Amino acid sequence: MEAPPYAVFLFPSVSHTLKAEKILKARGTPHKLIPVPRHISSDCGVCLRVAVEQQELAAEALQDLVNWERMVIL
Amino acid sequence: MKTTVDARGLACPQPVLLAKKAIVENEEVTVLVDNDIAVENIRRLAAKTACGFSVTEKEGGVREIALVRTGATGHPPVDADAVAAELSCTVVPEKETGSNVVVLSDNHMGRGDDVLGDVLIRAFIHTLAQLKPLPATIICYNAGVKLAVKDSTVLDDLQQLAQAGVDILVCGTCVNYFGLGDQIAAGRISNMYDILETMAGAARLVRP
Repeated sequence: MEAPPYAVFLFPSVSHTLKAEKILKARGTPHKLIPVPRHISSDCGVCLRVAVEQQELAAEALQDLVNWERMVIL
Repeated sequence: MKTTVDARGLACPQPVLLAKKAIVENEEVTVLVDNDIAVENIRRLAAKTACGFSVTEKEGGVREIALVRTGATGHPPVDADAVAAELSCTVVPEKETGSNVVVLSDNHMGRGDDVLGDVLIRAFIHTLAQLKPLPATIICYNAGVKLAVKDSTVLDDLQQLAQAGVDILVCGTCVNYFGLGDQIAAGRISNMYDILETMAGAARLVRP
């Protein structure tokens, strides 16, 4: 389990995830690319994790640029 | 002479002190204890005093320890007094690291596509930090040393692993080759001797 509260953004593909990561990096939003937690999906996928307090900022940054499938609070 | 010491329910260091007294006075001693710390202390006593040691699990968590003097009969075991100074009454913490060794020989996971390989190695190391038991050691060599630099995307995971007791060996030759001498931010610089000894002594090598 992740210790502090985090939000994860799940994308339709690895390419979407990487595109989203580039956007967050350019914006200076702290984030981390991690495997999709087991309890969310058993797929071998990756997702972007941000601190809960960064969640809205991140969502705003990604708006209209890259679609995400789901946002889950860990 | 033989004797039996019932040290069940006694607090540390009573069991080992009673065992010590008994083995000084007897050739063979049976000690009954009910906790691991007592077993370990008596095991240490046996090692220090050159006594034979064996332990048998009994019902209800009781352990029956057999101590037999292996030195010249009729003489008290040597160094028995020194043992008291080395008693440990603290609970041995459960070991968090196992004896597997993870080898990071590249800063990508797998071959075929480096963009994908970068995604995979980051996911691998993040997951590694949550593995139970943790590996005993992580070895970084060749481009794997780039994972341990200041601006590495997996630096926080490697630092977390190091903090949890995982020894991270970073190949010095490789660091030098890539000119990263002042940028290593996780683990310790190591050499081929340590790296090969660690790999050769590993229970298992795990590679991404």
